[in-house]
Amino acid sequence: MTMKDAITRRRLIAAGGATAFAGMLGAPLIAKAANGSLRIGMVTSLSGPFAGLGEAMRDGIVMALEEYGNEIAGRRIELIVEDDQAKPDEGVRKFRKLIGQDNVDIVSGVISSAVALAVRDVVTEAEALTFISAGSANALARDAASPLVFRPTKTNWMLGHTAGLWAAEKISKTGCLTIGADYAAGREYIGDFVETYTAQGGAVGQQLWAPLGTTDFGPLLTAIASVQPEFIYSFFAGSDAVRFLRQMKDYRLHEKVKVLGGGALFDQEDVIATVKDAALGGLNTCNQSPTAPASQAFSAAYLARRGVLPGEMGTAGYVTAQVIKAALERVGGDVAAKDQLKENLLALPVDTVFGPMSFDPRNNQAILDIYVNEITESADGPVNQVIHTYQGVQDPGPTA
Amino acid sequence: MSDTVKLQDAANGRAPAPSRQILALGVIAVLAALLPLVASDYQLRFVAEILIVGAAVLSLDLLVGYGGLVSLGHATLFGGAAYAAAVASRSLGADLTLMVGIGTLTGMVMAFITGIVVMRTIALFFLILTLIVGQIFWEIAFHWRDVTGGADGMRGLPTLSLNLGVTKLDLSSSFALYVTAAVLAFAAWAVARSFVNAPIGRALIGTRERQLRMSALGYDIARIRMMALLASGAIAGAAGSLYPFVNQYIGPNSMQWTFSAMMVVMLVIGGVGSLYGAFIGTAVYLGIQTYISSYTDRWQLVVGLIFVLTVMIMPRGIVHGVGSLFGGKGKQ
Repeated sequence: MTMKDAITRRRLIAAGGATAFAGMLGAPLIAKAANGSLRIGMVTSLSGPFAGLGEAMRDGIVMALEEYGNEIAGRRIELIVEDDQAKPDEGVRKFRKLIGQDNVDIVSGVISSAVALAVRDVVTEAEALTFISAGSANALARDAASPLVFRPTKTNWMLGHTAGLWAAEKISKTGCLTIGADYAAGREYIGDFVETYTAQGGAVGQQLWAPLGTTDFGPLLTAIASVQPEFIYSFFAGSDAVRFLRQMKDYRLHEKVKVLGGGALFDQEDVIATVKDAALGGLNTCNQSPTAPASQAFSAAYLARRGVLPGEMGTAGYVTAQVIKAALERVGGDVAAKDQLKENLLALPVDTVFGPMSFDPRNNQAILDIYVNEITESADGPVNQVIHTYQGVQDPGPTA
Repeated sequence: MSDTVKLQDAANGRAPAPSRQILALGVIAVLAALLPLVASDYQLRFVAEILIVGAAVLSLDLLVGYGGLVSLGHATLFGGAAYAAAVASRSLGADLTLMVGIGTLTGMVMAFITGIVVMRTIALFFLILTLIVGQIFWEIAFHWRDVTGGADGMRGLPTLSLNLGVTKLDLSSSFALYVTAAVLAFAAWAVARSFVNAPIGRALIGTRERQLRMSALGYDIARIRMMALLASGAIAGAAGSLYPFVNQYIGPNSMQWTFSAMMVVMLVIGGVGSLYGAFIGTAVYLGIQTYISSYTDRWQLVVGLIFVLTVMIMPRGIVHGVGSLFGGKGKQ
């Protein structure tokens, strides 16, 4: 090849690159030109450890917006979804981009508690209307609560606490062992469970911890087998939960030991759809259940759309849209009237597919029904069947 | 100047003719001054982040580009300094000079500790040892919940300020952060450049090119590498000390080895051994991550493709590659 040819080819690459770059810069400007529409930004995890959960969440909100004909309170809705890779730094960057560059009217999403905490100062400083769909760190309902940050989901305490109540009342006050993922959320779940359970007169035996991303639970399962507890309280999420339940079955422990867990341990879409039989007989407390009365129609629609019953994240995405819809309709679509929107949203409960949801005026935290689910066989395979409902569970909030 | 001579110069890290360099600096200074007029608050803050991370990548270039030492523990120096500054700011307030001082010192101390372990190794062993030492530091930050906030990281930090004796300047606005980051980036570049051009820098290149001959000439190779690590740690630390205040948050990801690997990718994209290429590589990487990811979930594929293409068609980085597109001087 001659030198001249090479240069021409290079020029071509350069020209192509420059065009692509210009297009990239130009796109937001074009988007900005569309007037009258209302922009919702969602940050969720589309790569990294929570990618599956993030896709479900995105599909949930898209599904709801499609049902509304992409229009709420007479305004066209534009949804912009960004990926935080489940990393707080990246989450902060994406929230800044949505607020500062895309000029969204509402920001929402977030799966990881760590991301939810990290973006708290950013959205507070920008005075952005924020709906945290799933990040459930207790602190956001307590010392890190913020005037315009709404959380239409549970706190870790709400699940750990109700599990403690249920265990002490219905399972046993002795022979309890806990095993949890050794990171912020796991510590909160187990800690809150133990606190309530002991306050109810229960006695906790051994407490085991496994690092996030544990592949071999063998040593811990041998420990469980030798202790022979009556039941265990456990918190794992995502692939950890899948491996834990599978290995429990491999060790033939799932027939002997009752497993009570946080909702994520038996998440319908993320865990049960994968482990199937290994989940049977398990118990969990969760703010979501595919068999809850409020979720019936949604569960069927979700099953038809994605071929699987909804888990917490798919439902959370849908609920986020429901809450945003209620909030906007109560101010006639005038998203700039933030104080009015807050006042009206807090005034009345919202009917969501989680169940009835009202907001705590102290911290904008949702007050929710918490379901006790048992995994039973059904026509669609093992399913989270509601066996009890704790109504209107409220986080202790700033006083805790 | 013939192509061969120029290649030789670049490989040795010697800068081009002074007059051209002054011209280039002038152009950059003018562009930097004009940027705040056209960029939004968000974009200014984004550029500040690029400059800060870029300064850390530049410090990595000292090791990789001049010492031939590929480190997978560089984020530890950057993130460790960031944590030190964030922790200190809680009780002492976030004064700029204090923060940069603490960050620089932390970066050097951590580089020294790393250096004790790694200074007699090279290539694969250097890579693995820096990775291991880095992960040890990361574990400490990750598990020392009381001080670092563990997996949740730290937030609620005071805003950055500069104590001028008579008055206290608030540096929390995007513009102020941008100016601060720009000054830091320039200082980092100037320090790195003088290090490279000083006898110690030439000796460092010597240890990369002809280790045996350098020992035979009486150079203490371990000591030279330690000096490079310290200089690199100081720059990375200074950059790290500003990082928590740009995002008002610092978390364990900033110390993890994946961030170190990201820095290496940024460096390769920008151009190894050019110093200023570090900023270009950082801008490209963060730009893709922030903008392309709005259009596709597979943005990492784009980063990967650019990385592969960079290595294949412009192995000396984007800056040099693009220059050669138009000048035609980059003939391999």
